[in-house]
Amino acid sequence: MLKFVLKRLLHMIPLLLGVSLLTFLLMSLAPGDYFTTLLQNPQISPDTVARLKAQFHLDQPWYVQYFYWFKSVLHGDFGYSMAYKIPATSLIFARLWNTFLLSFVAMIMAWAVAVPLGIWAAVKKDSWIDRACSLIAFVGLSVPDVLLSLLALWFAAATRWFPVGGAQSPYYDLLTPMQQFWDRVHYLILPALVLAASSLAGIMRQMRSNLLDTLRAEYVTAARARGLGEGWVIWKHALRNAINPLLTIFGYSLASLLSGAFIVENIMAWPGLGRLTMEAFFAKDSYLVVDSVVMATALLVMGNFIADLLLAWSDPRIRLK
Amino acid sequence: MALLEINNLKMDFGKGADAARALDGLSLTIGAGETVCLVGESGCGKTVTALSIARLVPAPPAHYVGGEILLNGRNTLTMSARELQAIRGGVVSYVFQDPGASLNPVFRIGNQIKEALKPHRPARATDAEMIRLLKLVGISAPESRLKNYPFELSGGMQQRVMIAMALASEPRLLVADEPTTALDVTIQAQILDLLRDLKQRLGMAILLITHNLGIVGDMADRVAVMYAGQIVELSPAKELLRRPLHPYTQALMNSVPKLRGDVQRLSAIPGNVPRIGKFPPGCRFAPRCPVARPECSDKLPELIEVELGRWVRCPFWK
Repeated sequence: MLKFVLKRLLHMIPLLLGVSLLTFLLMSLAPGDYFTTLLQNPQISPDTVARLKAQFHLDQPWYVQYFYWFKSVLHGDFGYSMAYKIPATSLIFARLWNTFLLSFVAMIMAWAVAVPLGIWAAVKKDSWIDRACSLIAFVGLSVPDVLLSLLALWFAAATRWFPVGGAQSPYYDLLTPMQQFWDRVHYLILPALVLAASSLAGIMRQMRSNLLDTLRAEYVTAARARGLGEGWVIWKHALRNAINPLLTIFGYSLASLLSGAFIVENIMAWPGLGRLTMEAFFAKDSYLVVDSVVMATALLVMGNFIADLLLAWSDPRIRLK
Repeated sequence: MALLEINNLKMDFGKGADAARALDGLSLTIGAGETVCLVGESGCGKTVTALSIARLVPAPPAHYVGGEILLNGRNTLTMSARELQAIRGGVVSYVFQDPGASLNPVFRIGNQIKEALKPHRPARATDAEMIRLLKLVGISAPESRLKNYPFELSGGMQQRVMIAMALASEPRLLVADEPTTALDVTIQAQILDLLRDLKQRLGMAILLITHNLGIVGDMADRVAVMYAGQIVELSPAKELLRRPLHPYTQALMNSVPKLRGDVQRLSAIPGNVPRIGKFPPGCRFAPRCPVARPECSDKLPELIEVELGRWVRCPFWK
């Protein structure tokens, strides 16, 4: 078990190296860099720009840049954000936390609704509740995140029940800890709801079809034949087996949640990693781009890793080696 | 009063225009302590008959249109969910074909046996009782087996566990639905020996479902041969094996290899078992029957007693 954990953590290293290398390469393929726009400014001399470029090793080929970046990462320094003019590390971790918070809350919301609904739809197959769930799933799968985000923004603006954009009030620092908490919740609700709604449909359909499969399994008939009550048969025998494939999906859903978060964050102005990556990308703030991509990858890999651990815990047939 | 009495049972899959008749006028009785074999090809309705006794066929799609199933004199077709729970395990227990699929993969053996004890004999849902049951079905080192997961046992062991669970509630009728089909040949004999031995010691009735005529002679007091949702021949086992009367039974016996006697070519029965809902008119075996006459396709023959205890659904049995 411990060996498995260590092995998986070690596997992350070449993956993250590869992802960072590829991101550097792709960034270098695009023309110009962060300082190119400064050249247009007559008040800044080309010498100054050249000096700045040299300072950030932007005058070197991409693999040399990568080498410098990698060397500083080994010392726990993720480079410098040229656009924000602060070390990337402080920026990244604050944003990473926001994205994690948004994704995590959205995931809990989605699963808390989708799993019971999926179970209900499977148990009452072909009833009106099953059809209603199918309709919800159909709408949920068809409506793009972009539209849902815009609708949420319109809703927030029209009702004024929710703030439009941001993660906390401007006067956040003046609030008591309790007020600070509620302030964050208030800002979080709407983006999290949008994100949750987009992944809810898939999980619900999956839960339903898994449970329908296990309800047909022979061990379920065998359990009924033992004289067990129907509720107990579903709860213990069918559901326990139906949950296993969902744990695998958990890993994937974290991935889709992160990419969904990119869109939702950008439209609803949630200061998360997705939005930071996008801004950094357009500003050609190259170190920040690489840092964000690496962080997002790490988050994704961790999600899959946790899913594997959960699966091993849930299914005795799986032995982690 | 017989332990089990199925009278003129009719069951459809689906309703209205989609209805497909799976069981059509099936009657069968099993006395206390008797072993009855239900024989027939795949898809003839053996399993559905067996599962119907405790109403284990999911309904819908199953839909009982007629007849009754009297278990201990009470009709299971009209029982409430609570009454059904009491007879499942309590009066009739099941052993299924594939023990690997009938045991829940994610729970330990002990957990699942305890579950078989709790509803019917809650006071005896103890480790000691579970160990006694496992010993009864010939499992070595039963104490440590309780902590095993099903996938850690061999197929034969799994089937022994299933039998132990079926016996846990001391049923009066054990329904074994092809209990050896999924097992190795050597294990098959062991499991059948075990069933016969347990029957002698515990005195319960057994309904053994099989498509293998070879095991009928070893196990059964009486045999019912099923074809296309109906019983076509019902007879004491020895007499049926010595002198099968219905052309279908004869054809089945000719398709079993014999060890002694002159070596003949094995004969297969031409054609396929008719699909549920697509039964031919008249005698259902007529299209495949070697001795069929033109009038066979006109009228469905009745099951008639032609000798004492011997019933045949064929007017030309002689």
